[in-house]
Amino acid sequence: MKKHVLYGVLVFALMATAGCSSSNNAASNEAANQQPVTTEQPALKTGYGFDQWQQGPLGDVFYEFDSSDLSVEAQQQLKDNASWLESNPQKGTTIEGHCDSRGTSEYNIALGERRSASAKEYLVRLGIASSRLETVSYGEERPFASGENDEAWAKNRRAHFVVK
Amino acid sequence: MRSSINTVQLPLIIFLFLLSMPLRLSAEETGEYIAIRKEGSAKIAIVLRQPDAKGKRETGWAQSLDSVIHEGLAFTGFFNILPAPLNIVDTTNPKNPVLNFGALNSVGSEIYAGGKVTKQSGEVVLDMEVYETLSSKQILRKTYTGREEQIRSVGLAFCADLVQLLTGKKSVFGTKIAFVSTRTGTKEIYQCDFDGQNVAQLTSSRSISLTPVFSPDGRYLSWTDFTSGRPNLYIRDLTTSQTVPAGKNGVSIDPAWRNSTEVATTLSFEGDQEIYLVRTDGSIAQRVTRSRGIDLSPTFSPDGGKMAFVSSRNGLPQIFVQDLGTGAVKRLTFSGRYNTQPSWSPAGDKIAYTTWENGGEINIFTINADGTGLVKLTSRCRENESPSWSPDGDMIVFTSNRDGKKKLYVMNASGENQRPLVKMDGEQMQPSWSLFRK
Repeated sequence: MKKHVLYGVLVFALMATAGCSSSNNAASNEAANQQPVTTEQPALKTGYGFDQWQQGPLGDVFYEFDSSDLSVEAQQQLKDNASWLESNPQKGTTIEGHCDSRGTSEYNIALGERRSASAKEYLVRLGIASSRLETVSYGEERPFASGENDEAWAKNRRAHFVVK
Repeated sequence: MRSSINTVQLPLIIFLFLLSMPLRLSAEETGEYIAIRKEGSAKIAIVLRQPDAKGKRETGWAQSLDSVIHEGLAFTGFFNILPAPLNIVDTTNPKNPVLNFGALNSVGSEIYAGGKVTKQSGEVVLDMEVYETLSSKQILRKTYTGREEQIRSVGLAFCADLVQLLTGKKSVFGTKIAFVSTRTGTKEIYQCDFDGQNVAQLTSSRSISLTPVFSPDGRYLSWTDFTSGRPNLYIRDLTTSQTVPAGKNGVSIDPAWRNSTEVATTLSFEGDQEIYLVRTDGSIAQRVTRSRGIDLSPTFSPDGGKMAFVSSRNGLPQIFVQDLGTGAVKRLTFSGRYNTQPSWSPAGDKIAYTTWENGGEINIFTINADGTGLVKLTSRCRENESPSWSPDGDMIVFTSNRDGKKKLYVMNASGENQRPLVKMDGEQMQPSWSLFRK
């Protein structure tokens, strides 16, 4: 899991480097230190909501087994996401609900919808217009991590944010 | 030899009687054979003789028909197919060869089926005769006609008549199974015959297509796919190939036909996920469930009066039964923490479903519609999912990854004789057995 975070940060750091004028060294140092990010560089955030499949600017939120409840960390991530959406009023997001491969696929489509809906509702309560927030459930159809183990399952139980 | 069966003919008067009252006679004969099977005695012992034919082309047809009939009857699991005794035809009088019932009885045969194949107006004509060997009584005589490319249908039409005569129930012959496959790289809808033959691709959405079901009359196919960007239900009229979407905002997933004019599906446009009845034009007829949480995967009793479904109203998913007349809801499953995918048997007495068990296995169970008589049908072979009954209620088609990839399997309704159904690339899942026959 740690490896994934580091990999994601490195990849994004390289991408960011290509797009802006900062040096490779600076980006690498930042990745190595895993510094929390300033508001000027929200894309370089690391931590809870970010990994190789989510490089920002909005972070993903994760769920427990058969649950669409928002943990404390998930709520904090959604607050960060709401801040970014407030600062970028021209942007909207699609919130994808995803499930791990266990259980049965029809039920997981329904569960994935509840996950995307719980994330959306929280953002709406924080003042984001629901017209900027679309939801779609992929159930277990589009997993992020492969493998049948706790780590992969945890990675796949998420609401995934795609900025548009 | 080829003329032997032709000469085994009943007196004209009995023949006319047969023609005039075929149903009544069948019913009488049927009763006896149902009794045999209910006693739990073995399978029906049958001697199948390749139909007689003269001419090279007709002989080829006869060989094809013989193998179609053999495979068809073997698939049902009802028959013990015996090799024909060598002296099956008594040629003591060369001018009048007759069936040797003594020889048939000595090999333990209960039923004999044979006939002849001719070509008439370029078409295949199969004349079949069936005898109950102990009494030397003819119990079926029928002609089947079709074009050469329909030879499989011709043979299976005879199988269907024979099975219905001997078991008193509609057979699986002519039924279709709709399913999902990843053969092209994305999940698309396919169909195959009851025995896995004649696979045909029905959608090319290049999205994710899921949960196909045919309407009971075979006119409509409904399924969910993501072509609109979200999981949306579609209803295709197979006679016109016109497709309409069903549902509003949110999901519309996992359909089941209540009858040939209404399909039930889960919609979430009112906020919570509830089951609705939708007409074939996609419009909503009626909301069925009212509870917080997921309501999903409807399946109906044969009369359409009751609906079993999955609900998370109490926490983890369990199966409930709702009376559509009174609205009363009863929880059906109390064993197992995670029960989904109910399928109501065509006879109405049982509901098959899956339990996600401790240790990660998913297994198929059947339970009586009143909640008694729980039976486990699969075990110790990884994930077994999506049970769907054959229209005669004797078999269940399902998905299993017991050999790695998800593939389709069939088994007897008792769980015996589990075997792969379809050989094709990719994974196959979510099979649904049609009620109609074509």
